[in-house]
Amino acid sequence: MDLLTGLFTTAFLAGGVLALAALGEVLAERVGVVNLGVEGLMAMGALTAIATVAAVPSPSIGFLAALAVGALFGMVFAFATVILRANQVLCGLALTLMGSGLASTIGRAYSGMPARAVFPGVEVPILSTLPVLGKAFFSQNILVYLIYIILPVGLSILMFRTRHGLNLRAVGENPAAADAAGIPVTLIRFAYVTAGSALAAGAGAYLTLTFVPSWSDGVVAGRGWIAVALVIFAGYRPIPAVLSGLLFGFITALGFVGQARGWPVAPAFLSMLPYLGTVAFIIVPVLAFQRMRRIMAAPAALGLPYYRDVR
Amino acid sequence: MIDLRTLSRRGFLNMSAVGAASLMLPAGLARQALAATALPAIAEEDAVIGFGHVGPISDEGWTWSHHQGLLAVKEAYPKLKKILEVENIPYSADATRTYRQFVSEGANLIFDTSSNGDFLHEVVKRATDVAFLECNGHITMDNLGWYYLAHWYPTYVLGVAAGHLSKTGKLGYVASFPVASVYASTNAFLMGARTVNPQATLQTIVINSWFDPQAATQAGTALIDNGCDFLFGIMDEAGYLQVAEKRGVWAAMWNTDIRRYGPNSYVSSVIIDFKKFYVDQVGKRLAGTWTPSETLLAMGAGVDRDAWGEKVPTDVGKAADAVRDKILSGWSPFEGEIKDATGTVRVAAGQKMTELELYNWDWSVEGVSGLTS
Repeated sequence: MDLLTGLFTTAFLAGGVLALAALGEVLAERVGVVNLGVEGLMAMGALTAIATVAAVPSPSIGFLAALAVGALFGMVFAFATVILRANQVLCGLALTLMGSGLASTIGRAYSGMPARAVFPGVEVPILSTLPVLGKAFFSQNILVYLIYIILPVGLSILMFRTRHGLNLRAVGENPAAADAAGIPVTLIRFAYVTAGSALAAGAGAYLTLTFVPSWSDGVVAGRGWIAVALVIFAGYRPIPAVLSGLLFGFITALGFVGQARGWPVAPAFLSMLPYLGTVAFIIVPVLAFQRMRRIMAAPAALGLPYYRDVR
Repeated sequence: MIDLRTLSRRGFLNMSAVGAASLMLPAGLARQALAATALPAIAEEDAVIGFGHVGPISDEGWTWSHHQGLLAVKEAYPKLKKILEVENIPYSADATRTYRQFVSEGANLIFDTSSNGDFLHEVVKRATDVAFLECNGHITMDNLGWYYLAHWYPTYVLGVAAGHLSKTGKLGYVASFPVASVYASTNAFLMGARTVNPQATLQTIVINSWFDPQAATQAGTALIDNGCDFLFGIMDEAGYLQVAEKRGVWAAMWNTDIRRYGPNSYVSSVIIDFKKFYVDQVGKRLAGTWTPSETLLAMGAGVDRDAWGEKVPTDVGKAADAVRDKILSGWSPFEGEIKDATGTVRVAAGQKMTELELYNWDWSVEGVSGLTS
């Protein structure tokens, strides 16, 4: 495989984990709820997927099971933060600790067991014969297409081109006004936090069903936190969230290729690249263009529980 | 991901503490240290033994192997009052707290299975009636010894096999940190391979973690993309073995037999086994003959190569085993002339590297790239 193909293949594969988790976080934050439980949800998703395919060797069922477990945890989190209006940051951290701890405890029985089924590569007719991209993108597994094309485009249309999307953004910007306009604030928040949690768990499942096909404690290794950061970087938008995940994957892959090719750069610097890149890409546009500040701004009611009676 | 908790494990301290100390220490594999008097004997029923681990015992690698040692101790001394075990001890003041807790629970002998350096030594100094052993430690005190593995010998044997198996002569290495264990491992591996293929080279990728399946997977992929057809590394998981299996190249591993992750690619592992050492040390402590020692477990007595993978041709296994037998009979492959990566002669012809020089290796031999730049 030539340099570029290898680079992009890894970038798409590695970026997918972050992209999917970031999409889930976009859903939650757009309706005004910070979900810091991504890391724990990913761990649970990764384990659920492995445990499921160990019983039923079908990657799709494993992935769906992970989504279901994520949704379940998401409902618990949404119950605490949206209905009981508990502190979102604390609940999110609790979810991370609980998810990671639970996955590590249950996972003992599964550690060291290679996944019995993984998503196979699907070659898209015609497109897979393209140079570089053909092998790197159009020969990947089905989840890659879901993450890079179907989900971001679908969510983008839903959020910015429909009445329902306007409603859900209103819930994140100004829940009191949305409530006054007759939008069911609690219901929308509950639903999107649950859906976002399901996607985060799906990101974990993507990890163990395509990229690292086995469960081991600590397999998520902090990617959940990076996903949370990417959402801010992406200005809380689905398509930029996916692109930033890809960018992160690309820069990470570049670091490895650099070391493999023996580029005369310190390995420590190459490993630093993704983080340096994130900082640069967040700061530069905002400093350079005043307008970007407004576009990149967080939903106004982010992190604030909504009380109807004290508005 | 930089993980400071585990940075210490196989020798972060080398960078600072050892440079000077090693010059003063004479060569030797296991030395009873110093003029310390033995701690008094204890009855088995009253003895408490402590084990502190860096990772989870479910890791199938480093910590799991130490846990097997604990189980062996339990079997050999079933009447012990208590065995304390704590997993996932971070490299921080939490380590000090954990070991202090061991002492206050009455521990008589404590194993730190991953060097915690000063965080441990602080407790050692204050609990002079408790014996301590630090894995990959570098200093001794009246009640503190250290132990580690002479892993460079089995690694050299794996290198010989790699020299036979690799067609391109390009070997890949997934490294954790540029520390002494990794230098010794990469160097021994390539030196073994070069006895078969003098043109062989070793490219390393440093991933800044002992355990990160994603990074190891990516590193393995990048190495294979770059033409490597034999992967080795020093990871506590099977990430790059799975890549090797998928891409049809060879791979050798560390710690335990994990061939089920890649049965066609698996060549062998550097297998570690602390059972006998732990049982012996506990026995000495109970008998009242324990004194601090510096021990490098030798090949065949704590560290070895694993049984050859099923796809490894018999003659390759035989050729490598011949080298293994030669080392077991006392021959050392680490004899000059050895040049470093810049071409400077670091070990003169005829000169043999001592065990401590191997333990504290901090430069790459000619042909290894990626660790120092």
